[in-house]
Amino acid sequence: MRVLVVHAHPVASSFNASLFRMSVERLIKNGHEVDVINLYEDGFNPVMSETERLNYHDLEVNRQPVEAYVDRLLKAEALVLVYPVWNYGFPAILKGWFDRVFLPGVSFGLVGGKVRPTLHNISKLLVVTSYGGSRFRSWLMGDPPRRIANRMLRATIKPGAPVTYLAHYEMNLSTNKTRHAFMSRVEKALDRI
Amino acid sequence: MRILLVYCHPVPESFCAAIRDRAMQTLTTAGHQVDLLDLYAEGFEPVMPANERRHYNEMTLADHPFPDHAERLQAADALLFIYPTWWYGLPAMLKGWLDRVWTPDLTFRIPDGPGPIEPLMTHIQLLGVITTCGAPRWWSYLVAHPGKRTILRGMRALCGRKCKRLFMAHYLMDKSTPESRARYLAAVEKRLARI
Repeated sequence: MRVLVVHAHPVASSFNASLFRMSVERLIKNGHEVDVINLYEDGFNPVMSETERLNYHDLEVNRQPVEAYVDRLLKAEALVLVYPVWNYGFPAILKGWFDRVFLPGVSFGLVGGKVRPTLHNISKLLVVTSYGGSRFRSWLMGDPPRRIANRMLRATIKPGAPVTYLAHYEMNLSTNKTRHAFMSRVEKALDRI
Repeated sequence: MRILLVYCHPVPESFCAAIRDRAMQTLTTAGHQVDLLDLYAEGFEPVMPANERRHYNEMTLADHPFPDHAERLQAADALLFIYPTWWYGLPAMLKGWLDRVWTPDLTFRIPDGPGPIEPLMTHIQLLGVITTCGAPRWWSYLVAHPGKRTILRGMRALCGRKCKRLFMAHYLMDKSTPESRARYLAAVEKRLARI
């Protein structure tokens, strides 16, 4: 499969970055064609500009500023996201990647003012993430990133495509044991792609 | 009250700008002191760099990356966010503002062992979100308003127990009409006049 791996963490020595490297290596070893987007390494600018916002609904030009990312997204058959949850959401650099790349004509169409998801080239989604807070606390807050994956992204990709959401909570209290256990879960999920 | 109004939209003539103006006018007329923080106008950089992330957990107020913003946050009695909802959440610029400005030692303290973090924004009496959504109301509720939850639950947990909440959204923006927008501005005015 052609797998697009998107990563968003600034520190290369972080646990999250090692999950990312592990994912890429594992997918290559399993024989997939892997395309890698490391947003921090790319120096991606997540801020939607005034011109982009004004051209947002113009399908002729809206993808121009991010065309390379759009092409790679549309070529992917599976999507793997590896990022930390900060403040119950995506790091800004990843949120901006959705804002600027998941455009009308790319991930959805507007038919009579109604949204029609169109990212049907993606038939598998895996999210690998880490939280500072506990699962209970995140649940109390409504766990926005989990819902984005399970509802919004699920509705955007191919209907019925499996969505797997793996999260290591309470990173500040993590131990070698919890991290290794989590890595095994991630490996198993990667092997199912 | 001293109200910090955090505004985030790239287009100066957007409907969000009209909401901002109406909000400022209403609040000032009601005798509040409004401090406007316009993130796009400031050219705020939302991407947390590696070094900041490395020291995040040990960060103290003394080495806050945006001392001016930290001071304004501490001086506020209320916070009001005005922004468009993009992909059910905050624009990246606003999300980055929370990531980089709402730091430990300013907004919360990380405990040494297990247990919840300690909130430090207890002087905030009101937390408000006024937004616009492309999606319809039912779908926004089904996706569970991630942006609203990030602020009104996540950030709210760092405020005092008695901190009140305010939420208003104009749904289906792409189908909005001059009438629906005027109605919304009037509703914003009515609601803000009561605080």
